[in-house]
Amino acid sequence: MIHRNLLSYRGARYLWWSLGLIIASCALYVTQGDSQPPNGGTWQGYVLGTVGALLIVWLTMLGVRKRRYSSTTGTVQGWTSAHVYLGSALIVIATLHSGIQVGWNLHTLAYVLMCVVILSGFFGLYTYMSYPQLISKNREGGARAELFAELFELDRNARSVASRCAPDVAISVDSSIERTTLGGGMYSQLFSRDDSYFVRGEGKPVRNTDQQRVIDFVGARLPRAAKGAEAANLQQLIVLLCRRQAVLRRIRRDIRLYGWLKIWLYFHVPITIALLVALVLHIVVTFFYW
Amino acid sequence: MDALLRELREGPDGIAEYYDTEISSKALSIGSAADRNIQLLGRGIAPEHAVIVLAGSQLMLECRRGEVVRLNGRKKATARLNVGDVIELAGHRLRIAQPPPGFNAAIELQPNDRIDASAFESAFRTDLSQTWLGKRAMAWTGVVLVLLFGLMLPFFVMKLHHAGTATPSWVPGDKFWNTGPLHQVHQQATGDRCETCHQKLFQRVQDAACTECHRTTHDHIMPARLALTELGPTPRCATCHREHNEPQTFLVNSGDGMCVACHGDPEHGFGEIKLDRVLGFGLQRHPEFKPHLLVSTTAPAGSGLTYEWKTLVAELDQAKEQSNLKFSHQQHLDPDQVLRRGDSKPMNCADCHRLEPDGEHFAPIRMEGQCSSCHELTFDPGAPDRQLPHGKPREVVLTLQDYFTRKFSDPNAGKVTRERRRLPGHEEEEETCTGAPFDCAMRSARKEIESQFTRRGCIGCHAVIDTQAPNVFDRFQVIPIKFARDYFPSNRFDHRSHQIQGKLTGDDACLSCHAAKKSEDASDLMVPGITKCTECHGDKAAAERVTVQCVSCHEYHPRDPSLRDIFSSSPSPRITTQLIPKAARPQERGLGNSAAERMGETKPAPAGELAGS
Repeated sequence: MIHRNLLSYRGARYLWWSLGLIIASCALYVTQGDSQPPNGGTWQGYVLGTVGALLIVWLTMLGVRKRRYSSTTGTVQGWTSAHVYLGSALIVIATLHSGIQVGWNLHTLAYVLMCVVILSGFFGLYTYMSYPQLISKNREGGARAELFAELFELDRNARSVASRCAPDVAISVDSSIERTTLGGGMYSQLFSRDDSYFVRGEGKPVRNTDQQRVIDFVGARLPRAAKGAEAANLQQLIVLLCRRQAVLRRIRRDIRLYGWLKIWLYFHVPITIALLVALVLHIVVTFFYW
Repeated sequence: MDALLRELREGPDGIAEYYDTEISSKALSIGSAADRNIQLLGRGIAPEHAVIVLAGSQLMLECRRGEVVRLNGRKKATARLNVGDVIELAGHRLRIAQPPPGFNAAIELQPNDRIDASAFESAFRTDLSQTWLGKRAMAWTGVVLVLLFGLMLPFFVMKLHHAGTATPSWVPGDKFWNTGPLHQVHQQATGDRCETCHQKLFQRVQDAACTECHRTTHDHIMPARLALTELGPTPRCATCHREHNEPQTFLVNSGDGMCVACHGDPEHGFGEIKLDRVLGFGLQRHPEFKPHLLVSTTAPAGSGLTYEWKTLVAELDQAKEQSNLKFSHQQHLDPDQVLRRGDSKPMNCADCHRLEPDGEHFAPIRMEGQCSSCHELTFDPGAPDRQLPHGKPREVVLTLQDYFTRKFSDPNAGKVTRERRRLPGHEEEEETCTGAPFDCAMRSARKEIESQFTRRGCIGCHAVIDTQAPNVFDRFQVIPIKFARDYFPSNRFDHRSHQIQGKLTGDDACLSCHAAKKSEDASDLMVPGITKCTECHGDKAAAERVTVQCVSCHEYHPRDPSLRDIFSSSPSPRITTQLIPKAARPQERGLGNSAAERMGETKPAPAGELAGS
């Protein structure tokens, strides 16, 4: 279990580092307040700010380290463990550095960006801890490609069987296959939006969420089937459509879980870059207007 | 258009089979999506990859933006299609054939059997990387926004402000660099114009920016005195006054640290200036208070008797008030001896001592305000409504002469007697004059004048010198009275906040510090020492102690810098001079107040002119 190793890496050594850092920072913080309120401009504030800035730079270096496969500077697992714990400590250190003085300014912008990065990291950690199990449970050990292969075969067979049925059934099934949606945009992937339609005889497309209505449509034809062969075809078609429904559900859930597993990085990484720029400006601007 | 699609498949027995499909649509769509006319799977095949359309009688191939196909071995995005052309797409081959009658087009499809059905995923967008989300684009957007609002716009607005161009308040300029709110008054005075104080980039705020408004604020040490030390320049204003902080009450640095940094070690750096060591507020940490006292000395000056008032700093345990007043607090506060006129109740402190609006000082004690309600200046029991003028010895002499002249020259008067003071147990004594009325009047006046100045009038409160001069105007000199207004002129003390001390209120609160009930002489300085203060106050937060900092009592910026001179190494006491002129001399009678004031002198003996707090 990667997450267990991540948090308990070498007896959670970085948890203790990070707790030590937090306690030291708090101790430094409370020595302020004699001549001015706690803020980033006291010598304690400068120390906390420097530690925070160095931490931010080091935490960013994980992105570099994990791409250097030949590097022997610690293991990527150790780096990631330290990244998680020290990143958590950073939120305390930066808050103490700020003296909890916030406003509509560049300095608070840098702080907010940092908080968004860290909170998105917490979300990422949560998904890394719980989603891989959900994903493998959903796939029952297989790969996503197998589900798609199965879907393709079901599509092909359903079309083939439908072509032997009444024309309106054939059109319904064909259109339901053609107008099945999977994935799509960010929202559709993350929330499994299903915009599937099918054409029901009269020629007007109707919603076919979760493929239920096309199954109901074909099922309703069964009692009215005149010939034995037609009934057999319809029955076979229903079986295929139901299997198809199950496969689609699984694929949708797989896409959703994968989306949530990855979405945080789309914020964590770009905002980190913006944070680095804001951090540099924060430091420079502080001395612009000393 | 009507098209015939002939799919070539290999049957289970290895024999090629044809599957023909008739397609009737506007265009022939090719792609991996299920709704394409020709659904092809494989790497690089988009859900909607290309279309074949009929332009006139010409078949045209049009790929989707960003997609290509291999046409006869060459990559093409658009092309005219002729019979015999072969389109290749991920191993699938589409050959344009001669359309049979009734069809506009015919296509032979030879699918790539090695393509697995699992490639079907490419027909859908199943990964976030296929959406608008993009780490690189988002990172660039973030960087550009941060640079725009965090650097470029503020810099531009700053340049505009420096050039004197105002910007609307909604423009997010260099106020985006603000690290916190300004003190409300500073905010009101400067608006959002940072350059009012931050005049140069990378330069700390200079004192000149502060003194542009704060012109009347004095520095802690005057430059001349600072030159006597090796302390170097005084700290910048902003060393203590830290702006852009919350809460803003910290704008005045109330910590003792910076004070003690210098005053804790006065042996080093103070040069010629000798000061006591101060480490905070406590018995061993702060020296005993040193009151500023007024001391009068007489000195002959020209033609008159001159009083010089010097301010001297004294040790508290040796300090004596030298106001020249005769007064007993003990007597006045003893209900067995003194009761208030009117309601006959014991006297309160507040009957005489009235706190000024500043809460620190008391209104000067004056004869007219505090004393005369009980102490009348009558001189003839037979004329109880006639009173002597106060504070004007010459007028006293004239009043008495006038009074007796009128009395003796009144033709309607019978036997004129001068009544002697009625004393308990004594019979009324009468004195009769039989000479000329004016001589009688002058004799009676002289006796009453002697009595007033030496036995029962002025002498009760004032020290009077009998010069034995033959001229009655010159004979008696009343020593002037003056109280220090403030024993600690460069310090603060709030009497008002000390009027309630725990359960002590009213006189009890006053008397808890000032031992007035034991003071029989006006020379007692009833100022409590530091021991009294430390009963309730300390510089460290502690139980039953109210914390005080240096600035609770002391001012860093002196109201009156000259007061600090008293501490200098070569004492130069401030001197105020009072001249008692030879008022009786006829040639000096015309000397008006204005002339005397021009000489830096005042008229004589304004008894009770000043009273201290």
